[in-house]
Amino acid sequence: MDKDPQKGYIALLGWSLNAVEAAENFDRRYVVVAPDWAEAYCTEHNIPYVPWNFERLNDRSLEIAETLKEMGVDVAIPMFEETVEWAGAINSVLLDNPRLYGQSLLLRDKALMKRRAQLGGIRVGIFEEAHDKADVIRFLKRVNQTLLKLDGDPNDPIHLKAFDKAGCLGHRVIRTPDEVDSIPDEEFPVLMESHLDGWEFAVEAWIHNGKIAFLNISEYVTLGYSVFVPASPELESYREQITAQIEKLIKAFDIEFGLIHPEYFVTSDGEMYFGEVAYRPPGFKVFELLERVYGFNAYQASMLVFDPKTTAEEVAAYFPREIEDANGYAGCFGVYPRRRVVSKLEIPEEVEDHPYFESHELTPPMEETVTKRTAFGTHWGLVYFKGPDPHQLRDLLKHQEDVDYYV
Amino acid sequence: MAVPALTADSDKLAALLAHLDHATALLAAAPAFTKPGKLPRVLDTARRVMLQPGGCAAVAARAQAIDEAGVFAGSDWATPQILIPSLTPHSLGSADANIVVIEALSELRLLAVAHEEYRHPLISAEQAHHYLTQVIAINLNLLFGPATEAERETQGRLAQLPRNLFQYLTERIGYEHVIDQLIDEIWRILEQRPIQVDAVKSMITQIASCQANPEIDLGASGQGANRLVSAIFSPTRGCQEDPGIAVYRERLVSMDPSALQSEATGFARAMHDTGLVSPYHPVLLRFLLDQGEHLLAEALGLSATGRDCLLCYRDLVQALIRACVHPPTAQAVYGLALLLERGILYQASMAPALLRQLALRLSDWSQARLTLAFGDTVSPRARLLEGVLCMLGQPLGVGQGNNPTCQSARALSMWAYSDPDYLLQMVAWAARDDEIIMHFEGQPISSRESTGGVATSLPLDLDPVSLLVVPQLDRIYAEMGRRCIGREGDPHRWVNPEFHGWWSGRGFRINVDVTTGHLSDLDAFLRHFYASYHPYYNGQLPLIHPQPAGIAVTDSAARFIGWHAISLLRVSIDPTDVMRVYFYNPNNDSGQDWGDGIRVSTSGNGERSGESSLPLEEFASRLYIFHYDPLERGELAEVAQEELDRVIARIHRSWGADRIPATELQASEGPLG
Repeated sequence: MDKDPQKGYIALLGWSLNAVEAAENFDRRYVVVAPDWAEAYCTEHNIPYVPWNFERLNDRSLEIAETLKEMGVDVAIPMFEETVEWAGAINSVLLDNPRLYGQSLLLRDKALMKRRAQLGGIRVGIFEEAHDKADVIRFLKRVNQTLLKLDGDPNDPIHLKAFDKAGCLGHRVIRTPDEVDSIPDEEFPVLMESHLDGWEFAVEAWIHNGKIAFLNISEYVTLGYSVFVPASPELESYREQITAQIEKLIKAFDIEFGLIHPEYFVTSDGEMYFGEVAYRPPGFKVFELLERVYGFNAYQASMLVFDPKTTAEEVAAYFPREIEDANGYAGCFGVYPRRRVVSKLEIPEEVEDHPYFESHELTPPMEETVTKRTAFGTHWGLVYFKGPDPHQLRDLLKHQEDVDYYV
Repeated sequence: MAVPALTADSDKLAALLAHLDHATALLAAAPAFTKPGKLPRVLDTARRVMLQPGGCAAVAARAQAIDEAGVFAGSDWATPQILIPSLTPHSLGSADANIVVIEALSELRLLAVAHEEYRHPLISAEQAHHYLTQVIAINLNLLFGPATEAERETQGRLAQLPRNLFQYLTERIGYEHVIDQLIDEIWRILEQRPIQVDAVKSMITQIASCQANPEIDLGASGQGANRLVSAIFSPTRGCQEDPGIAVYRERLVSMDPSALQSEATGFARAMHDTGLVSPYHPVLLRFLLDQGEHLLAEALGLSATGRDCLLCYRDLVQALIRACVHPPTAQAVYGLALLLERGILYQASMAPALLRQLALRLSDWSQARLTLAFGDTVSPRARLLEGVLCMLGQPLGVGQGNNPTCQSARALSMWAYSDPDYLLQMVAWAARDDEIIMHFEGQPISSRESTGGVATSLPLDLDPVSLLVVPQLDRIYAEMGRRCIGREGDPHRWVNPEFHGWWSGRGFRINVDVTTGHLSDLDAFLRHFYASYHPYYNGQLPLIHPQPAGIAVTDSAARFIGWHAISLLRVSIDPTDVMRVYFYNPNNDSGQDWGDGIRVSTSGNGERSGESSLPLEEFASRLYIFHYDPLERGELAEVAQEELDRVIARIHRSWGADRIPATELQASEGPLG
């Protein structure tokens, strides 16, 4: 697409093919900042590219910021959890705003993030850092004492998460002290949280000039397996409260622009608990689902709200109306083989013949033996569904957990 | 009840088509570097559409959009003008759904092109129509039969897709085109007189059953099949209604001499017209064994030469008929007739060599191989003898099957052609001893001790002689090659004369540098070829023995495919005064399009059955190895430079395009360079 030199020049931090494609088809100039293994591909396909290896921030970190500044780049957008603090560091130079770097560190560390949210008057569960297994056992006991459980009562579980990883990576659920032994020492330190019984959901919110430009609620059917957008009418009935929560979050973290992706629980009494927030595109292809129902490209939307040269009018004209403009409900299911030994991929006929089934990204198995799932694990690929009825879609997604895709 | 079901089907199709259109639009909008990621969804959705009733028609209506979105980009299907119909059964039978789907999409796209609903930049409506009729003809089984067990096993539900496709294609193209195309194809192959005719016979059977099926309206088409169908099922009055072998045998007993005469003539005519032998023919031949030579000669359709030979070797011929001519080995009749016509029985060694063959005890291994390949309706010995008669009668009908053993097939053909008793010796060694010993520069090479030939698995799709001899020869050939490791230059220089026979010229020319793969010394190469083989430059010397030669095979877009062994048979003026090279190609179908306007001809230009031919200049442009007699070559200097330049330009335009060495390229840039 022809680029508009009056508009911003954007750096994408990290290699994401979907983001590059979106940038290619958008009117902003762009450059991909990625490790040198991407160079050959970028050269071959004429993709603007600057090599950079995103390791820990170090003395040379300023170098990439200076390079981009000299090129005339206006803003950097993180594609992955690992590039969030890089974006903070780079943008503090490009936009001459040192606070952005501090903000990015808050968004990268789950323990700091929770404290900041708490300070901002947002409800969070009980949490603590653990440095070894003894910390975990103590926390598990204390939480269950607080819940007035007697010896012998089944424990409420606690959740363990790595400080700085995206989504479900390293996420474990611990119920008994015995299970603590299964945690490898190298996973420490971790963040521990009490378990909240409730309805978990995520939000994608595009923020421009400190205000919400578009707010989507993604409903999880089963965490780590399935999600759909827009949320069912039941969850959408909380939209007003959820919007208020996001506004609190924007204030607490002092966010002026960008895309945030927080997770919440709503408990049976309608109380919202903050889980965590990420300053990058969500996993699980929620962007694709949004495009499917609303027709706008969520990567381009992010570029729009990051670009300091974007006007408020342009933003207002870009986004559709929430819920009203959606042309159905789209969801996806992450397939994990249910059998220990599999030989081939076989899309079940009931799925293939279902009117809601759209497409899949599954590939034939590379190995016959399925590695045992640790923590939440990674799925083998997504299956996409779309249809007019949210409840039918939700039940269909739930039902996929009992279906074999690999036999 | 049918109506609601239909509505449900069409609702489902409409929903799937919406998905397909969406997926196609995503692919079309994607920049080139993300197209591969969008393609699987298009293919998968298209697969589901084509499995629905009416799905193929809906896809055909979207053919242009699908093509232009980039479904075929980067694959062979992107250049439809070079697609080869004979490859479609493999892609449509693939276990990989994506390959099946992309092939089906390509066919539907060409249908749109053929009906001028879609103007394609690379292929015309006529070309597309021609291509599709060939594709349907080759895949007729998909039209008439349900999925076989094997197809179901590899493809599952997918096996229905090619069937839906062909049902639709045939409705649009029309049966009459398909059948006529198929008949032309069969005649084209039969004109080359291959030894193996099983595939042709099954295609003819398919046409016959198509004609007999009241549900299929063939219109005026299929008339050309009458000779083919009758040649197999009812060549004479005595078997006009295809009565079955037993009934026919009974009828023969009650026939008077004139009726027998007419039976004999009828069979002979059918056989020599088509190269196909009816299973009734052996019944008559065996019956005539007790009726005198006159009718026997008549039933074999012999000329004065053949009849003479038959009379001279009466007992031998009778013994051969008794030993191997049965309804399942009917082709032996044709082999025998041509063998007698060639007069090779007059070579002193031939009759005794055939007597040895008649009495040959086959090894267990040989018996097992023959039974595995041909079943047990006749004895392995009779099967092998049929193969021997056919190979001696039709030396140019030897085919390599679907195996990389062109060298061995060429050797067998060459021996059958000019050294038939040597061939019989090879057969005796291979069939009886499971071992052949040949000598290479004085050192014996045993096929049993040499492991690893060119072919990695034992072939089964061969004639009976090749089936036993080729694996042995293949190992010897590979071993000869191994013994040349470390020598400078191409091993064929030494291997070819030792492997094929003393008559292979010891002079050797190659135009490719073995180490770099670049063209080298084209001018001298071509000058030697012209001076040795072109009658105007070699003093009108005819080619005496077949000579091994190597060609660079190119596809219809003139791109290099691989090296291939052929033999040069003769060089002479064709009926239209063009100097042509006539050669033997062990490939099963010699009529090929080598691109850049070069189409190998197999009939109509003075070819004998089994010969391929090209104008000398076109042939020279694909030649990369030849042998010659250094003592008999003509005058190198007399060859006109402009003639050679034309050949060199053809090489540079085709397989030599990326083999031009840097220096030569500069030199060839003409007067400015």
